Amino acid sequence: MADGSPESPGVDAVRHCIEAALPFKALTGGTLDALAQAAECIDLFAGEVLYEAGSAADCLYIVEFGVLRLEPIAKTGHPAASAVMRPGQAFGWIALAEQGLRRNRAVAVTPARLLRLCGSLILNLVRADPAVGRMSLEDLRAVLQAIQLSPGRDAVPGHAASPVGSVVKKPAAIEIGLFRVAQWFRSPAPYMMLLGYALLLGFWYLSVQVLKLPRFAQMPGLTAVLHEWFSKNPTYGVSIYTPVYYQHILVSLRRIGIAFALATGLGVPVGLMLGWSRVFKDYVFPLFEMLRPIPILAWVPLAIIMLPGSELPIIYLTFLASFFATALNTMLGVRSIDASYALAAECLGASRWQIFLHVVVPGALPFIFTGLQISVGVAWFSLVAAEMISGQFGLGYLINTSYTTVEYPTLVIAMFTLGIVGYLSSSLVRLAGMWLMSWRTRHLALGELR
Amino acid sequence: MSATAGAARGALKINDAVKLYEPSGARVLAVDHCSLDIRPGEICMIVGPSGCGKTSLLNAIAGFHGLDGGSIHLDGRMLCGPGHPQADVGPDRIVVFQNGALFPWKTTLENIAFGPIMQRRMTKRTAYETARRMMADAGLSGHEYEYPGEISSGLRRRVEILRALMNDPSVLLLDEPYRALDALTKSVMHEALLETHYRTGTTIFFITHDLEEAIFLGHRVVVMTARPCRPKQVVEIDIPHPRDYGVLTSRRFRELAAEISAVLEEEALKSFTRGEKEGGVQ
Ligand SMILES: Nc1ncnc2c1ncn2[C@@H]1O[C@H](COP(=O)(O)OP(=O)(O)OP(=O)(O)O)[C@@H](O)[C@H]1O
Ligand SMILES: [Mg+2]
Repeated sequence: MADGSPESPGVDAVRHCIEAALPFKALTGGTLDALAQAAECIDLFAGEVLYEAGSAADCLYIVEFGVLRLEPIAKTGHPAASAVMRPGQAFGWIALAEQGLRRNRAVAVTPARLLRLCGSLILNLVRADPAVGRMSLEDLRAVLQAIQLSPGRDAVPGHAASPVGSVVKKPAAIEIGLFRVAQWFRSPAPYMMLLGYALLLGFWYLSVQVLKLPRFAQMPGLTAVLHEWFSKNPTYGVSIYTPVYYQHILVSLRRIGIAFALATGLGVPVGLMLGWSRVFKDYVFPLFEMLRPIPILAWVPLAIIMLPGSELPIIYLTFLASFFATALNTMLGVRSIDASYALAAECLGASRWQIFLHVVVPGALPFIFTGLQISVGVAWFSLVAAEMISGQFGLGYLINTSYTTVEYPTLVIAMFTLGIVGYLSSSLVRLAGMWLMSWRTRHLALGELR
Repeated sequence: MSATAGAARGALKINDAVKLYEPSGARVLAVDHCSLDIRPGEICMIVGPSGCGKTSLLNAIAGFHGLDGGSIHLDGRMLCGPGHPQADVGPDRIVVFQNGALFPWKTTLENIAFGPIMQRRMTKRTAYETARRMMADAGLSGHEYEYPGEISSGLRRRVEILRALMNDPSVLLLDEPYRALDALTKSVMHEALLETHYRTGTTIFFITHDLEEAIFLGHRVVVMTARPCRPKQVVEIDIPHPRDYGVLTSRRFRELAAEISAVLEEEALKSFTRGEKEGGVQ
């Protein structure tokens, strides 16, 4: 570790160094002297670590000679771009924020000599210095804010440490989008995803077509399915070139669309009321909690008996599970809102209705969208179950008929199609959520979720 | 500038206030016959042992809960008292919460403009106009379209105080608003608050645990007794305004700090030993 050496250079030199490096324009002589007196001299050899990321930050350093590197440790574990500190530059500003932690590690690249200044001492001196005045504290504040806004940055380049409050630019929506895509490609995620697919398909191919495992004898092979799926002349009549394929998809999508819209349109208001109104909750919630655990499949006979035709029962069953998921999450969302928001709004003169509109609804939005994500998932689940039992079209129906008629490649095609369409629909919900909650997504995009 | 610049309003008169909690049978007397006169335009700092009932008193002034006795008047108008135990919550007394209550789903500008728009006192356009001017005056231009989650915690506090001031309240009720801030941010907050106070002259009722903060900001520091809460000693801070941080090192400041902390320690000790004996329940 670094050791302080008592035989420091002349106080004048130190004083000059401090004066040049710190962003206070008007420190009085007395304050500078006090700082120079308190400064400690540290020698580092090349490769020596001054501090590690995560350690307590109590001191600020000024480079007298030599070069240091500050290596931010990004959250993902990848070393991000590092900053280089040269003579005359000051770093470790986080020490001026009480109980700050180092965000990077500092390593000497060459043999180096540093001045060490205790953070609390600087604060006290600067505060007590009448000449510094408000402006300098504001400057310092701005510097610290810039550090806090740029993760992994503990350094402000030397004397350029003038007010930086305006440097932090607000990202536009497109920038955020690009940023996220770039971020995604830089992360291992896409490659892991590809690997995951490759493993599944490889397993399928091997077990059915190469190893020919006994239980898999009936299972259509990977190549057979792909061939059928993309064939202009499919053996069993369903491929991307046949209109009937899209008819199945469209019928299922239409049912999902109607059921999901109904479930959202009813579930969100009911959930909001459940969370917001005591009385409403006392009436409705026990009933709600009794009906909710009944599995969708248990509703099938009743739905068919009660509702005319085959379309309505399917939509009803699809709607039901979605509705419960949405309403329940919405209610939890309302309950999760910190009580002080409503009190604050009341203080500011908002009526009960205005509080509902401006506090309860937006406050519950994150939970509502979690609910909607779950809701699309269970909607597809119940849709397929319902379609397998009644109906003339739809992906669930296709799965069922291709099973009974032993058209197994078609069965697998329908399954994959369900997967893709289901994934797309939940992505759509997620996008809608991000769009409505830009106040949250802006953070996520910057990787700074608090 | 004198301490009571601006309109002479915001006189808060607390008379024999009593607040009693009865959760599950156990009676907790939080505030007992507490009387306190807060002068218009004053910064009145409240200190006292933890759990003594400061927040209970503040909540009664704000109208978040009722009193079990006594009365509170604001500029001669009864807020609560006999026959009307709970004050109406309203924009003449605005609370700034310890953990901050800026709406995270609204931008800073929308937050500041919220009050007048809700009260239909201003059109949206004038409200935003005024809010923008206010931010500029406070040196916060450039942050108008940021969400609270995107700005520093210090900035959030300043925006929240602006949001309160937008309503031209008679009294600002602050419950340890700077507790979670680091030392440097705190000092910037203090200067900003004083600066705002010199401009608007709003009465400030300020609860804190930080003695330095209490003396630096306050015209008076009220030391509360251990629970139940009532003023034990009211200390005039005779350091002239406007103040700056040079004050911290002055002799008078240290004398006052010693005096107040002696009183405070005595009360804290009382509440501590009683807590030991009675397991924290009265
Ligand atoms: N809703 C409540 N029900 C029952 N007891 C309560 C309630 N709120 C507060 N108390 C009790 O009343 C006493 C005073 O609480 P209060 O929050 O007013 O103290 P405080 O002075 O603000 O404390 P602190 O300094 O810790 O914020 C405490 O002992 C507390 O346990
Ligand atoms: Mg409290």
